[in-house]
Amino acid sequence: MKIKYLTILSIAIALFIGACGGKSDADLQKAVQDKLAADNITGVTVAVKDAAATLTGEVADAAVKSRAQASATGVEGIKSVDVANLRTRPLPVATPAAADPALTGKITEDLKKAGCTGSSVSVVGGKVTVTGTEPSARYAQCVQVIMQSGITGIDNQLKRGS
Amino acid sequence: MSVQEKYQSLLELANQNGTTYELSEGNNGTLIITGTAPSEEAKQQLWDEYNRLDPDFRAGDLILNISTGATAAGGGMHTYTVESGDNLSKIAGKYGIQWKAIWDHNRDILNDPDKIYPGQELRIPM
Repeated sequence: MKIKYLTILSIAIALFIGACGGKSDADLQKAVQDKLAADNITGVTVAVKDAAATLTGEVADAAVKSRAQASATGVEGIKSVDVANLRTRPLPVATPAAADPALTGKITEDLKKAGCTGSSVSVVGGKVTVTGTEPSARYAQCVQVIMQSGITGIDNQLKRGS
Repeated sequence: MSVQEKYQSLLELANQNGTTYELSEGNNGTLIITGTAPSEEAKQQLWDEYNRLDPDFRAGDLILNISTGATAAGGGMHTYTVESGDNLSKIAGKYGIQWKAIWDHNRDILNDPDKIYPGQELRIPM
């Protein structure tokens, strides 16, 4: 009789463990790590406690951070993903492509070529201030020309005409 | 919210449509995206997304500097004369662009991105 009870008890325990899913935090941590590696996301350290994942480390930019969160969230058994301490890499400081007068000259010339005759620009410390008015149809193109000139800042006061 | 987070969907779009880019920081935390799009369409997609996130590009917190592999981007071309000790990455660094952009614009005179010679005149997309 005693043996029978033990058998029933051990079956019950086995069933109970099975119903819980059985994935330990260590298993989940490995699963998240594997998933991140498969998605080509590097530089992330994974910790899992009570099925809640915490990602730390440093990734290239906000888009990668978002992908890391999505990838980890998609792992079966993970309840939540904390990325508050997953940093994005500090950005290098940009240097203007040329000195201010040269940039002013280049942008003015490029604008003229693109037909943006209503804009005028002045560059101070790599930052351009744009004034004037351009027709609506050409507005975006004129802004593009300015942004592709190697500047490091912009104050866009250009008016959008009709 | 950081500037990168504000323009996160733009970066994601760039990843999806095959645009290669690098980020840097300009005046007062301005985010600068310098990259090369595979086509005019891809470039236009990015500008459309930029316009959606910041209508009429007024905020002044982003400079989107995207060229396309095929043609000169908007503005003119600059000519650079190769000096001794130069390589494409080094030259690209001077202009804040990627070496591949120079390579793409000079395929007609270059056979190998690792082989450039003093005196050669390279077109620099700007």
